[in-house]
Amino acid sequence: MATKAAVSVSVAASITAASSSSSKFVINTPHRFLCLKRLSSFSSFSASALAIKCTSISNCSPNKSARSMEGFTTRTRASAQPLENASELIASVETFIFDCDGVIWKGDKLIDGVPETLDMLRSKGKRLVFVTNNSTKSRKQYGKKFETLGLNVNEEEIFASSFAAAAYLKSINFPKDKKVYVIGEDGILKELELAGFQYLGGPEDGGKKIELKPGFLMEHDKDVGAVVVGFDRYFNYYKVQYGTLCIRENPGCLFIATNRDAVTHLTDAQEWAGGGSMVGAICGSTQREPLVVGKPSTFMMDYLANKFGILKSQICMVGDRLDTDILFGQNGGCKTLLVLSGVTSLSMLQSPSNSIQPDFYTNKISDFLSIKAATL
Amino acid sequence: MEQVSMEATNPNPSSMSGVAAASAAELLCCANARALLDSVDAFLFDCDGDKLIDGVPQTLDMLRSKGKKLVFVTNNSTKSRIQYANKFQSLGLSVNQDEIFSSSFAAAMYLKVNQFPPHKKVYVIGGEGIVQELQLAGFTALGGPEDAEKRAQWKSNCLFEHDKYVGAVVVGLDPDINYYKLQYATLCIRENPGCLFIATNRDSVGHMTDLQEWPGAGCMVAAVCGSTEQEPIVVGKPSTFMMDFLLQKFNVSTSRMCMVGDRLDTDILFGQNAGCKTLLVLSGVTTQSTLDDPSNSIKPDYYTNKVSDILSLLGE
Repeated sequence: MATKAAVSVSVAASITAASSSSSKFVINTPHRFLCLKRLSSFSSFSASALAIKCTSISNCSPNKSARSMEGFTTRTRASAQPLENASELIASVETFIFDCDGVIWKGDKLIDGVPETLDMLRSKGKRLVFVTNNSTKSRKQYGKKFETLGLNVNEEEIFASSFAAAAYLKSINFPKDKKVYVIGEDGILKELELAGFQYLGGPEDGGKKIELKPGFLMEHDKDVGAVVVGFDRYFNYYKVQYGTLCIRENPGCLFIATNRDAVTHLTDAQEWAGGGSMVGAICGSTQREPLVVGKPSTFMMDYLANKFGILKSQICMVGDRLDTDILFGQNGGCKTLLVLSGVTSLSMLQSPSNSIQPDFYTNKISDFLSIKAATL
Repeated sequence: MEQVSMEATNPNPSSMSGVAAASAAELLCCANARALLDSVDAFLFDCDGDKLIDGVPQTLDMLRSKGKKLVFVTNNSTKSRIQYANKFQSLGLSVNQDEIFSSSFAAAMYLKVNQFPPHKKVYVIGGEGIVQELQLAGFTALGGPEDAEKRAQWKSNCLFEHDKYVGAVVVGLDPDINYYKLQYATLCIRENPGCLFIATNRDSVGHMTDLQEWPGAGCMVAAVCGSTEQEPIVVGKPSTFMMDFLLQKFNVSTSRMCMVGDRLDTDILFGQNAGCKTLLVLSGVTTQSTLDDPSNSIKPDYYTNKVSDILSLLGE
């Protein structure tokens, strides 16, 4: 328990230290701000910054199986157990972190039994937090989506990767006179604006064309100190070149990724190429790895643990993806519950090629209600 | 179309460690130029960059007159071989399309030597060059430049369709890259059983304009890696696919080939890894001091200022 307390304290210290550091902005070199290999399992804090270690900077393609980081003890996990005693799980944690796509909703449709389940958990005094890698909306816009679906969720309870990018820049004291170039959608722009940062790019650069002719030179703003890359349906060569020039030519320019999900469920009917694609493109042209703020990086977990003053051991992460949600929970040291209402099926969980085992699994979150009832 | 059959292998080299040269690079001179010419049956010229300049046409003619086979190698997939031949002509170089090995051609040849079924289709993220080479080789190509203006729809109950007969996705440099193409390629690779993922090359940047560098095919390829979690089969440099293909075509061993280029870590290393002789020209990105620098471990067999030195040193 002392160790857990020490971890929380050091998180608080690291975030406070970063935000109260001297006015001179020390832009870390790319080598200091290392990368996050998509399926790496790790997290460690340095007192100076929320730096995230990684194994190697090679190509951007992630392996299919999770690997343990050097210096991080590999724990052979027992196979996931079907959730049979929901009351016990509920009683053992103080906070539930829910992923959104595939857990709360699918596309724009609410999953059965969600409102009643959330109400029940709240009535038991549980804190609810919603963490999504989807960067297309700001937390305010997500708040509206929850409201439209009839869910009682506060904006302060929502942590989208768009918010995470802005929060990260805030935590390292990114100077207000520097700019951020965005390869991504409206959510990122809104969060940057709320955090008081100047930005360039975003959807409006989606209409810009270039002509590869002799004598043509693309200019870029030398004051861009960070490039944030996320899911972008308006992705084009202009943006890739702009981001590439900033990263390669502006000294100390940061390369931040909201997330690296390969595919995402934009509509409930099928998968769509995800943020991992846009991030991959920039890795390909810059030969650099990004700092990832979304799952499975523990940045958001550390942020909210610090914000709400909660211990990781008191949290249960509920999600539908093994390589983001469950790994995120495991990296953070929480309990983990996989729901089968999203992208992962039971056979995928039980496949010999899968090495990520959550503590529990169940069909959907409303099982908390039915299983609970059954045990009465 | 010539029949070239060989074992279907993944030509990606697992490491790029260079073969340590026994001695330092030799400056090309009269004596060793003659020796080089006698020991080599084919010259491979890298034509990415501006090395094919003054005096080159006469040099090429001389080499041809001595019965040497010439191959012009480029990782640029935007043009087909015929289009490259035309470009060379306009620069005053007489080059036959059969002497050109572009990565667009390489992609089509890879499918051919691996017996890609004719009833299957190929989805292209890339330019007209790839589409043309695929068609010349008898394959059905989808995508390419005509998908540049396509946009995806995001409505519920609106499905993004893709052709189930696509058996390979070829990705190369594409300045018209967009979400539609990424999504199409992603669905083919993830959902069509056995669909191949082929990259023309993975160069991160290139000099698409004279004034600055621009993202290369490596960017588009990495985008597709990011959404599919798969690694591609690379057919252009530094993959050895091209070498294997040329060996078969010319029926010569690599020790009777000479790679001529201006980059140590791609051209020269590539040639060394394949067992070719190597000649570095200093008319491109590499200078004498870079070559001589103690930190450089890649030593070509020979080096000279420019390609036309081969002609002038032989006193022809």
